[in-house]
Amino acid sequence: MRVPASALLLDAVIVALTLCAVLLLGLTDGYTQFVLGMVAIWTILCVGLNVLFGLTGLVSLGQVGFFAIGAYASAIGLQAGLGFTLALPLAALVAGAVGCLLAIPAVRMAGPFLAMVTIAFAFIVEHLAIEWRGLTGGQNGLMGFPAPGLFGFPLGEKGLIIFAIVLAGAMLLAYRRFASSGWGTAMAALRDSDVAAASLGYNPFGTKLAAFAIAAGAAGLAGGLFAPLMMFIAPSNFILSQSILFLFAVILGGSGTVLGPVVGASVAVFLPELLSGFAEYRLLFFGALLIAVLLAAPRGIVGTIAAFLPRRPNRAAPSAREDVLTWLAPQKGGKGLSVHELGIAFGGLKAVDGASFNAKAGQVTAIIGPNGAGKTTLLNMISGFYVPGTGRITCGTTDVTGMAMHVAARVGIARTYQATRLFGALTAEQNVMAAFARGAFGRPFRPVATSEARALARGLLSFTGYAGDAETLASDLPHVDRRLVEIARALAMRPDVLLLDEPAAGLMHADKMALAQLLREVADLGLAVVLVEHDMEMVMGISDGIFAMDAGQPIAFGSPEQIRVDARVIAAYLGEGEPDAPTRALGHAPGEMVTLVARGLCAGYGAADVLHDVDLTVKRGEMVALLGANGAGKSTFLNTLSGLVAPGSGRIVLNNTNIEGIAPHRIVEAGLILVPEGRQVFPDLTVEQNIELGAYRRKSRPAASELEALLTRFPRLRDRLKSPAGLLSGGEQQMMAIARGLMAQPQVLALDEPSLGLAPAMVEELYTILAELRDEGVTILLVDQMATLALAVADRGYVLEQGRIVAEGKADALKQNDALIKAYLGGSTESREAAQ
Amino acid sequence: MTLLIAALVSGLGLGAMYGLVALGFQITYSVCGRVNFAQGSMVMLGAVLGYVLTVRAGLPVIVAYPLALIGCGLMGVVVEALLVRPFANRGSDAWLMATVAGGILLDNAVLFTFGNEPRSLSSPLVETSWQILGTGVYPQQLLIPVVAIGAALALQLLFRRTRQGRALLAVVQNPQAARLMGINTGLMISGSFALSAMLAGAAGLLIAPLFSVHSDMGTLFGIKAFAVAILGGMTSAWGVMLAGFLYGLVEAFVTTYLGSSYTYIVVFALLIAVLAIKPSGLFGTAALRKV
Amino acid sequence: MTARLPFTRRAVLAAVTSVLLSAGLPAQAQDDPIKIGLVAALSGQSAKSGESITRGITMALDKINGEGGVLGRPLELVSRDDESNPGKGLVAARELVQREKVAALIGGLDTPVSLAIVPFVNGAKMPFLGPWAAGTPITQNGAEENYVFRVSAVDEIVDEAIAEYLVAERGVSKPGMILINNPWGESNEKGLTKALEARGMEHAGIEKFESNDVDVVPQLTRLKENGADGLFLVANVAPSAQVVKSLDRMGWDVPIASHWGPAGGRFTELAGPSGEKVHFIQTFIFTDPAHPLFMKLQESFPEIETLADVTPATGIANAYDSTLLLAAAIEAAGSTDGPAIREAMYGLSGVEGVIKTYDTPFTPDNQDALGPDDYVFTHFVEGEIIPLAK
Repeated sequence: MRVPASALLLDAVIVALTLCAVLLLGLTDGYTQFVLGMVAIWTILCVGLNVLFGLTGLVSLGQVGFFAIGAYASAIGLQAGLGFTLALPLAALVAGAVGCLLAIPAVRMAGPFLAMVTIAFAFIVEHLAIEWRGLTGGQNGLMGFPAPGLFGFPLGEKGLIIFAIVLAGAMLLAYRRFASSGWGTAMAALRDSDVAAASLGYNPFGTKLAAFAIAAGAAGLAGGLFAPLMMFIAPSNFILSQSILFLFAVILGGSGTVLGPVVGASVAVFLPELLSGFAEYRLLFFGALLIAVLLAAPRGIVGTIAAFLPRRPNRAAPSAREDVLTWLAPQKGGKGLSVHELGIAFGGLKAVDGASFNAKAGQVTAIIGPNGAGKTTLLNMISGFYVPGTGRITCGTTDVTGMAMHVAARVGIARTYQATRLFGALTAEQNVMAAFARGAFGRPFRPVATSEARALARGLLSFTGYAGDAETLASDLPHVDRRLVEIARALAMRPDVLLLDEPAAGLMHADKMALAQLLREVADLGLAVVLVEHDMEMVMGISDGIFAMDAGQPIAFGSPEQIRVDARVIAAYLGEGEPDAPTRALGHAPGEMVTLVARGLCAGYGAADVLHDVDLTVKRGEMVALLGANGAGKSTFLNTLSGLVAPGSGRIVLNNTNIEGIAPHRIVEAGLILVPEGRQVFPDLTVEQNIELGAYRRKSRPAASELEALLTRFPRLRDRLKSPAGLLSGGEQQMMAIARGLMAQPQVLALDEPSLGLAPAMVEELYTILAELRDEGVTILLVDQMATLALAVADRGYVLEQGRIVAEGKADALKQNDALIKAYLGGSTESREAAQ
Repeated sequence: MTLLIAALVSGLGLGAMYGLVALGFQITYSVCGRVNFAQGSMVMLGAVLGYVLTVRAGLPVIVAYPLALIGCGLMGVVVEALLVRPFANRGSDAWLMATVAGGILLDNAVLFTFGNEPRSLSSPLVETSWQILGTGVYPQQLLIPVVAIGAALALQLLFRRTRQGRALLAVVQNPQAARLMGINTGLMISGSFALSAMLAGAAGLLIAPLFSVHSDMGTLFGIKAFAVAILGGMTSAWGVMLAGFLYGLVEAFVTTYLGSSYTYIVVFALLIAVLAIKPSGLFGTAALRKV
Repeated sequence: MTARLPFTRRAVLAAVTSVLLSAGLPAQAQDDPIKIGLVAALSGQSAKSGESITRGITMALDKINGEGGVLGRPLELVSRDDESNPGKGLVAARELVQREKVAALIGGLDTPVSLAIVPFVNGAKMPFLGPWAAGTPITQNGAEENYVFRVSAVDEIVDEAIAEYLVAERGVSKPGMILINNPWGESNEKGLTKALEARGMEHAGIEKFESNDVDVVPQLTRLKENGADGLFLVANVAPSAQVVKSLDRMGWDVPIASHWGPAGGRFTELAGPSGEKVHFIQTFIFTDPAHPLFMKLQESFPEIETLADVTPATGIANAYDSTLLLAAAIEAAGSTDGPAIREAMYGLSGVEGVIKTYDTPFTPDNQDALGPDDYVFTHFVEGEIIPLAK
């Protein structure tokens, strides 16, 4: 096993710093020696806090409590004649044990709640120290300890300081090794994404507990040194503001970096010394400096400098493809997944009900269904994220129903996420290597990145088709690569069951084909691959079995051929037959004046564009439908128009004014109103208040007659006017959302999936109203998955596929267009062949 | 009996004051999931401005106190713009430390401008006490719960009845949809910090006549109020007010029956115990997690 | 190049070493000022009292330096803020002694801070003069070579005095104690208990409160229920005011004898008119605006307009006298050597201070310059501290 050069360099720097500090002791006066000793003590504490805050991402404002416990334990131990050799480990142990106790409630909390628990803990320790006079000496504290010695050898003050400095150096060396071990990896994983860490088998409770215990133990150790160095301790040494300074030191130095704690500790200890002449102005200066550092150097001193240092790439070769395949293949022929009558309800709403299917080892099983069908919820139950209300899940012969996520992962269920959940601060290969251990921490100082592990990780990455640098930070990866790395990470668990949630979303056609082939290959190794996917071409091409569901209910389970011709499946996707919505009445034709134009619009989230050069025009009084499969980019297009997503390039013109890139509230002012997908009501406001909010940007208050007119149009809302919008049915909410949009007197009304999740009768009523609006001259841009429905009322239509416009024209003409059905259900023969 | 009444009077008065400050935490947390950890300094600022404007500038209370509150509101806006927003935009949690530092900065800036001596802000409501069942009550002590509950009610009215109030509620309930209504969410967040600081300032003005005015008078109130906000669950205003009264009463009863030595130990140990059982507070609701 | 390298390296090393050495060992020329260190609370609630100590020392230094200094060298003050925190005070004392090389230390506003510093100064053989903190064990610290001297009140003696006052002058038979919850309160708890025991009296209870408590009614109610007919009050100015306000609220008019806490600030402003009922002990007060020291103070600090603006006159006077005694001792010792100064302290006589003229103020058995005879009972009248009419 070879240690990388940069790690050796770090070790050398730490050793050199330690030696320098010891040498400096010989050259300085007693007070400077004392200050150096304080720096060492702070460093020890901050290394521990760095494990908790930097590595695990948990904010503790209670470190001073552990520091105090260590100091008192060591002081009392010394006074009881225990000797420094025993008192110091005692200090660390007692503090560590209390840390474990505090962790039990604390690990269940996050953010301000965790901060409060740790603050409360610090207060309790401080006041116990004040009140428990028999033990702690009360406010007067303890003083006059026997001079410390190690194993009978007297240290003296200078010796104690040297010992503290050496210990601090050892802590830094230990941290360097710890952070790259399985423990450190688990903590970093938990920090970047707790959900994904659990799905790699890491026990969130155990990991956080370990971090708390280590931080507490280190603080205790620091306290154990502090007491004999100060020769005096009192409760006033351990006030809350000290905790803030500890945290400040870690942030200032660079949280999560190896050298950060020593740099932060040095500044935090030396700075007040430099400012001692300014006595009373010190805190003023300190507050200002803290803010300045936070604003200007958020990564801390070490982090900021490290960003400028050249990184020597590791040129380790990936394992050969055959080796990767052999490694991946389950030894005993693989375990299948069986789901029986699975169901779950959220607040009375059945999100999934009676889902049953078998995903055999060696097969690809797809779960399909329109938006809101409950597909991801199903995956969440299988992977242990939700506890199912009813039914049973078995993996091989193991019943995994209701298992915690990390337990299910250890049984052999791996998964990916709709929105990728990589560990952003880890590199691509570190993400993969984090999965090898299936949640086992391993030895605390044994690096995860052995050369074998590195080769295998790179082998897995290149197996998934990842062609980028294995040492790129996951947060810097483009969209496609994120998906590939996430799949490689899931595979690195050597799972029996691989669950994939929309792995092809946002991928280019060629990438999708490659992905399809990859999944087929993985299944052929003997894994059970379960795929939630909207790309029908891909689904139909590689699946052995397809489970179709709609609105939480199973509608079919069969082979691709059976599913493709299943009437219920087609109905679920395209809508049922010819709708009754009235076509445009004669006598009013849309004008020729252009209201909204998008030209060459490109946009996306993060690194990769979802939209590519989209051109679209809406004329005044026209109703235009934008069609396409899920994931084609329809919602992204609307969100870009409304300013929620900043366009990468291209222009958007509304009534001769450019509106691209301006704030959403200004776009609303300009007259483009979006009724978003899923209605997005304000649940605790009444229907009336919701509708009135629609007029928020209007100059004048809406007249009562306007509300009256809306109620005439949406008679269902009249009885519900005073009830909270959250209590409305889905259809009523949709009506309300449209009414709310109309209240703004829009120049263009954009509707995103208005029929989503509505009962057929309600859909019909809704479309009748949309037709009325169209006939009254409201300019409408309509996005709906129900293509036939949308085209029945629209004047013109555009078809979006993978972020590009692939067809456009009059509604009647589009209905006949073969490209449309393909865009929804896939089915071109050449792609299936390519995948097999 | 006298002890019981004395504890009740102390507990309700202080509890209401904690609740009022905690309400400030709750408002900003609801709107944007962040809080101003310098809230204690805002309490102090309210009292100091009240003192400076009435005693030093000689303004009548009716003018001075609203001005003091406006001053606090402006400070809230400044804190949000300089110490919260830059970090929120980066997706960093450093606003926590930044607002703590802001509090230190403000306390010390006041120390050098206002002076290092505690001063007294008088109120006609602490000149004579009413004797009730063997213990004395200053009218001011009764005023605090009245103002606190009044403020909670007024906020509710503001939220329900005014255009901007409803816009703020809209941001709380669904920030994305609020933006689509044309609501400037940045302005609303800024406003929530102003409101939060004004509530703290009002608490400072109310407590000052019973206490004294000095630059570090707010620190402990800020921490206690934060405990109250957490205890109340951060999501409901009435939950937070109720938690305030609860906290004040427990504190007063522990002090009365066990002695002040145990107040912090018992109160904070209880707080941890409550959170261990209900991690999102007494009246908080945990949101459904999604992936 | 290779030939020159060792030379440059050596030069750099030499430069670095010399810088380090010069930082560690400041050169000491004969007419360099003699440094006097001050450790006191310069920020926070006690800042006002810290300021009065600084003013007292400054006045004394102006006088001494105006008369040619000590040993022909001027005296210079180096101040450090301890934020009323013993740990910080101890570190600051170390820094002043080990880095600034002060000849002596003055300071310790708060008893806990002084108590933390005491073992250190005794170990470092550094004379330490207390102008304020009254905790008994500060000077009675049991050290073989005691370097701690005080020109201030002593809790044990103060407690005896206020017990005597409350019992003899006010006819109290069952006093209660209301004490701040810190070591100062603890020290007086012992002293007062001892004073009552000596009289064979019982007390109505010992109640503690925190310096940030808004409401002390619960504690006071307990004392009242136990039949207290007089109160001992020990706390700094702001917390003392909270006690008076709480008494007012309860409508309980009871004799109060207090340690000198109320003198630290604008007590009657904070406590209201009832503050005048609190009788407390002082070592020194200005009663005459024509007092020479007061006029000098006005000269140096223009913000002082009336007698009410120097409320902790005690602090100024104690610090002023401390500095004079220290300067006299250094002059007598003929060096800035700690043990020599300590020895000289015992031989002082005829030092004219503002409180009194000191003749043999210190002996190895009694390192306190002030005793019961130097205390006066006072109260506030219209914002000024006035001696009580006997």
